[in-house]
Amino acid sequence: MRRRTFIALAAGALTSACAAAPGARPGQTVLRFWSWVPGIDQAVNLWNSQNRDTYVDLELTPAGSSGTYSKMYAAVRGGRGAPDVAQVEYQELPGFALENGLIELGPLGMDQHRDQFVDWQISQSSFGERIYAVPQASGPMALYYRNDIFGSLGLDVPRTWEDYRAAAEAVRADGRYIATFPPGNSAWFAALSWQAGARWFGLDGDVWTVGINSEQTLRVAEYWDELRSQDLISMQPDFSNSWYADLQSGRIVTWPSAQWGGPILSGNAPGTSGNWRAAQLPQWNPDNPASANWGGSATAVLKGSEHPREAAEFAIWLNSDPESIDLLIAGGYGWPSVKDALDGTALDTSEEFFGGQNVNRDVFAPADETIGTDWLWSPTTNATYLHLNDGFAGVVAGGSSFVDVVQQTHRQTVEDLRAKGLTVREAS
Amino acid sequence: MRGRRLAILGLLGPFTALFAATIALPIGFALYESVTAIERSGPLGRGTTSTVFVGLEHYATALSDPAFTASLWRVVLFALVQVPVMIVLATTLALMLDAASARGVKFFRSVYFLPYGIPGVIASLLWGFLYTPGLSPVLDVASWFGLNIDFLGASSILWSIANIVTWQFAGYNMLVIVAQLKSIDGDLFEAAEIDGASAWQIITRIKLPLIRPAIVLTTVFTIIGTIQLFGEPLILRPLTGSITSTYTPNLAAYNEAFANNNYNLAAAESVLLALVACVFSFAFLKLVNRSGK
Repeated sequence: MRRRTFIALAAGALTSACAAAPGARPGQTVLRFWSWVPGIDQAVNLWNSQNRDTYVDLELTPAGSSGTYSKMYAAVRGGRGAPDVAQVEYQELPGFALENGLIELGPLGMDQHRDQFVDWQISQSSFGERIYAVPQASGPMALYYRNDIFGSLGLDVPRTWEDYRAAAEAVRADGRYIATFPPGNSAWFAALSWQAGARWFGLDGDVWTVGINSEQTLRVAEYWDELRSQDLISMQPDFSNSWYADLQSGRIVTWPSAQWGGPILSGNAPGTSGNWRAAQLPQWNPDNPASANWGGSATAVLKGSEHPREAAEFAIWLNSDPESIDLLIAGGYGWPSVKDALDGTALDTSEEFFGGQNVNRDVFAPADETIGTDWLWSPTTNATYLHLNDGFAGVVAGGSSFVDVVQQTHRQTVEDLRAKGLTVREAS
Repeated sequence: MRGRRLAILGLLGPFTALFAATIALPIGFALYESVTAIERSGPLGRGTTSTVFVGLEHYATALSDPAFTASLWRVVLFALVQVPVMIVLATTLALMLDAASARGVKFFRSVYFLPYGIPGVIASLLWGFLYTPGLSPVLDVASWFGLNIDFLGASSILWSIANIVTWQFAGYNMLVIVAQLKSIDGDLFEAAEIDGASAWQIITRIKLPLIRPAIVLTTVFTIIGTIQLFGEPLILRPLTGSITSTYTPNLAAYNEAFANNNYNLAAAESVLLALVACVFSFAFLKLVNRSGK
């Protein structure tokens, strides 16, 4: 008897802990939302303060690849426990699609709103003609460089990768490195391959095509192999303490990076304020300039949600409402996925850290126009990243080259996709 | 009789339930996962999925992956160095603290034991800072003398990890041995002294044979701990390009499960690792028992 009461009490406590979100009013529909984007709590607060029928219960999670995706996968597979709304990066969307984890958003409002968003990010969020996520932000790329050091060495801003190599030699002669090739961050390498015109994955009907070892990727790998063998680049991990220390001290003088890299630079190398500028990425073919995208995220509605319509409404509002976008920009979430991102937002401003340059209007807005828009990710992007990272680590240890790693990763990726039970063809 | 049976059930019940829920069930589930796979059909694989029995296929995949077998050899090499270093150090520290002439015993015992009180993640982060060029005072001082040490390089990183593990657990193992030393009857030492035994003879003839069980125990713990190496490389990984996602078997299984979303292969890798740890632990115990007879 007593035990039964105890169990009943315990069960009662558990269910009540799960049911209501603190802050929700009686009668409100509660949406659970998992995200790790800095400043997103502000946007959620704004939604909740505007007296709606739905209340968004935000749970700030670790970044997706630090465990949150595995939680989501487990919840989707287990059939319960998944949040209604979730942060999902572009390269992870095919993985969730493969697990049948995403609810199609076209009929839930995205068909009417799709024109508000940049086309290529709509395609990143779609499979076939169907839209499965609301684009949130992207990372158009450019080159951050130390204007003062370039000036004192008499160097011009490199327009081509050949110029960049010459600059690397001059910078190295001065005891510095032009940049690091981050062996543990293959997303960066993927972005540079994207810029060179590579397309790693494609979908031809039901067949996945893999083209990692394409001419364009190999060209990028070979280029960095040459810089590495002449000791013109450092090989330390990016976003590591030693890298930050080198940015701060001027031992590393450029960073080919995304728009969201600006706040990271100013936050971690405050002593260099005023000395940085941004310019377009060095080009392979200056007559046909290209940028690339590094990073980027969408808001998805996960399968199992009991309120998909409300969840879609919130996801669309979060990424298209001007007030919400302003709050997200202030948090540093990247380059908005809505069209005309710059106009009238906080992005359109000159920054002291860049010596008064308005990097967003001068550099990133035009860069955004030159991103190749037909890039596709695969359901096993993560594994591909790991193969590259492990291979690049092997290059650091000595004995192989970036080119070898690209070839090897190509073969392994074909195997990965086959192991998932998918049909694969090598692009040639 | 009936009451007695109830009592047995009541006393064993909680243990059995906990054992089943936290040991037997997870192991059983891992074994099940390791012999099944998910099959997909339809465009994009987004048709139907079903779980099928695949026998030992995942084990074959794991063992034919050169990166995974290399990680197994790496921890075996690590254990071959780490275990003797650890046990010799812990035993030496314990004997020194137990020596009649030792001073400040309580203070030093606490100091040696202190690292064990620091969570492994934090210890790895702290050591990570000491290994990072540009931040580490150790490297700064070394560079004054013209020494260029690379703690995070491909050839040194394994031993930098060994340093962290030794720093963290030597004091704990020492304490286990100290406890056994304390339980030795003082009369034995007195008798040995009267018979004219030197301090060295007391150590080799009395103390070492009598603390043998503690040494065996700490050795087995160290073997299992080193084979399961995980936290240290995981924490140091962002600091260096030398640690791959398959640097140790545990790290390989972790990445297979949580980065590649392939729980079945991860389960097979975990089972293989458990087997290796079992083989080494039992081989050591067998060796000890044979030489003890």
